[in-house]
Amino acid sequence: MSDRTKGETVSDSPALAIEDLHVSFSGSGGSGKVRAVDGVSIRVDPGEIVAVVGESGSGKSVTSMSTLGLLPPTASTSGSVRVGGVDVTTLDGPALRAVRGSEIAMVFQEPMTALNPAFTVGWQVAEALRLHIDGLSRKQALDRAAELLETVGIRDARRRLGQYPHELSGGLRQRVMIAMAIACEPKVLIADEATTALDVTVQAEILDLLRDLRERFGTAMLVITHNMGVVADIADRVVVMYQGKVVEEAPVEELFAGPRADYTKRLLGAVPRLRPRGDERTGEPAVAGEPAAPGEAALAIENLVVQFRGKGGAKVRAVDNVSLTVAKGEVLGLVGESGSGKSTLGRAAIGLITPASGTVRLLGDSLTGARGSALRRLRRRCGIVFQDPASSLDPRMTVGDCIAEPLVINKVGDRDERVVALLESVRLDPAVRLRYPHELSGGQRQRIGIARALALDPDLVIADEPTSALDVSVQAAVLDVFLELQARLGFACLFITHDLAVVGLVSDRVAVLNQGKLVEEGPRDQVLFDPREDYTRRLISSAPVPDPVEQRERRARAAELRAARD
Amino acid sequence: MIRFLAKRLGQAIVVILLVTVIVFLLLHSVPGGPARGILGPQASPQAIAAFNHEHGFDKSLVQQYWAFLSRLLHGDLGDSYTLNQSVGSLIGQRLPKTLVLTGLSTLVALVIAIPLGVWQGRRRRGLTDYTVTTLVFVGYATPVFFLALILVIVFTEKIPILPPQAPQAQTLGALFADSRALILPVLAGAIATVAAFSRYMRSAVLDNLAEDYVRTARAKGASERRVVWLHIMRNSLTPIIAMLGYYLPVLFSGALVIESVFNYPGMGLLFWNAAQTSDYPILLGTVLVIALATVIGSLLADIVQALVDPRVRGSIR
Repeated sequence: MSDRTKGETVSDSPALAIEDLHVSFSGSGGSGKVRAVDGVSIRVDPGEIVAVVGESGSGKSVTSMSTLGLLPPTASTSGSVRVGGVDVTTLDGPALRAVRGSEIAMVFQEPMTALNPAFTVGWQVAEALRLHIDGLSRKQALDRAAELLETVGIRDARRRLGQYPHELSGGLRQRVMIAMAIACEPKVLIADEATTALDVTVQAEILDLLRDLRERFGTAMLVITHNMGVVADIADRVVVMYQGKVVEEAPVEELFAGPRADYTKRLLGAVPRLRPRGDERTGEPAVAGEPAAPGEAALAIENLVVQFRGKGGAKVRAVDNVSLTVAKGEVLGLVGESGSGKSTLGRAAIGLITPASGTVRLLGDSLTGARGSALRRLRRRCGIVFQDPASSLDPRMTVGDCIAEPLVINKVGDRDERVVALLESVRLDPAVRLRYPHELSGGQRQRIGIARALALDPDLVIADEPTSALDVSVQAAVLDVFLELQARLGFACLFITHDLAVVGLVSDRVAVLNQGKLVEEGPRDQVLFDPREDYTRRLISSAPVPDPVEQRERRARAAELRAARD
Repeated sequence: MIRFLAKRLGQAIVVILLVTVIVFLLLHSVPGGPARGILGPQASPQAIAAFNHEHGFDKSLVQQYWAFLSRLLHGDLGDSYTLNQSVGSLIGQRLPKTLVLTGLSTLVALVIAIPLGVWQGRRRRGLTDYTVTTLVFVGYATPVFFLALILVIVFTEKIPILPPQAPQAQTLGALFADSRALILPVLAGAIATVAAFSRYMRSAVLDNLAEDYVRTARAKGASERRVVWLHIMRNSLTPIIAMLGYYLPVLFSGALVIESVFNYPGMGLLFWNAAQTSDYPILLGTVLVIALATVIGSLLADIVQALVDPRVRGSIR
């Protein structure tokens, strides 16, 4: 791989040229055709990184799949996809397989499921080589696989070869995916939401790796993403897609500085940005009055420890001696990466998980000692909003029944009126109460989740990543509903999320969790803009901001921080 | 691994003990009893009382069970009332034959079922898939004895190419020497198993076809054949192996019917005849063997699963 340099491959012909691509799917049961991609043209030059952005249903993933001929048989395609001058859409069988992985390769979103769980990572990287290089022995392929793992920054590559995907962390797995993709030195690398499932610090490393591979091998990259921060961080040029069409295409700085298409303007407007709040919203709790005494806090957690049984029966502390309070009417943002224990803490806070030690007090009453009806009485005063609205609503219950269930359980009368009022308060048409969850969009479902959480007029709401599964414009609308309700009803809230910009938008105070321990806690502006701890600083500097100029500075700062840590 | 085995062994002993208790209670709650079975319906009450006293049936159930258990711990399963032989030696003679029968029919079944399931999974919703599915359901729904009778009628009377009776040989070698006579019993046992396992395999392949790693393999340039027979196969076998372990007792009960239809001198026929004469020691011994087979089957399934699936390997260490 070393002898192919950027200069050698630069030529007038693009590495990837998608021209007037149309893809439609024949609906099941002959219900007509669905147009997923409608006349898309994208050109990527050697050594260039082009980002394709859009929300779900924009056709960006279908476009990327069509470049490898990976669409299901129900898809019909017209137009051309040229990779190094060859039209991929005209190929099939062995000719198509010869291109896949060797001329054009792909990195997928979820590295856990995208790797085969039954084979070692060494075998899987070696397979990518052996499929395209004739006469490569098993031993040679493994040697080469080890080199590739080193190329993508995996230390101790020899040992890693013999490990299975489930033995690696998410970041390592994604590096393995990338090693596999670059195994045959493809001219074009497609990264389809390649960093979406990763923590921000890991995401920053993977983006660095992609940039580095581009520098070293002159690979052309098509980065499919919904994250405007990622776009600002890595792209040279941006293609904005909406409902199967390209609505705007521009160099990255131009696009962020002066979006022309209405959709781009709306999209950029919906992206939450981390800004000091200043006087826009005071740090005071929404309910006016003197600061609440500790005994009256909506939620008071003291020295909480939650243990799980880990590998070989050893006990793992998911939450390790954490103390937190959420005052009445206050929103406490709880931030942390995956595995930091933030969801566990949220569940322990309303008694869904029994802690090993420590106490949880809800509005002055101890939850940790409560049993039976006392526990239920306490839980009645809490609501919880879960991450995935699709799976946290019972598919066999109508929307109205879902929302009314807490009322039924607690024998509250006037259910219909209450359900209608709740639906109106989350800005949904009350008529949806007769429909089923699967008939609604993700944003509508999450509003129903909020309505259900508020059904009993709780004093405390636990919101566990409530907007992570949503598109940015939908997220903006849901957060807007949430903030309006919080200000009006004045409930206290523990808002759990990994998204710093969202935390910045909703919180009065912020707590940072890492590996089960509380790293830092304080007023919003202080934690997010003047953090005291290294970990918080690293976390904040890793989150890409949707502004290419600012993001370049942040990247430099983040690199310094990492260097200082090593 | 040793800790895992020790734990499973402990569980196995508890399971087997519970099985003996339940079977013991069930047998003794059945009206009639062994005295009537052996002495005949004309026996005088005195003769029956003498028989019951001789075999300890006039003692309390707890005492009887304790006597059975203490003999069992010495490796003594007792003597048959009707066959003038110890239960241990009877099982020793019969068990290998049943193992041959069930082993062969399972092997035949898997050799057919696995490729059939994979093939169907890849051609879902085609005419061939529907046809095979229909045939498989018919095979699954037909009672084993009926299926066996049809096989006998077709292959011994309509097209007389096979003998209707299983080999009556005493040794395993002689059993295989008369291998033509083995075909029908093996086939009868295999059909229901093919039906069940091709369904499991079909749905496992369908589930795996939708997995992301399949898309990755295709994106690497792997051929469809490689994707299915290497990538998907390895992941689809895990549930099949688990099922196979728990299927062992079902196979044994299938053998009971097949052995009585074909008069095959195995455990099933032994059990069948003993059940008709209330020969308690044989019934208890046979049930014990089946319980043991169940426990061993699930243990073997776990071990083989660990060999195939690295994620399981980690958790049983």
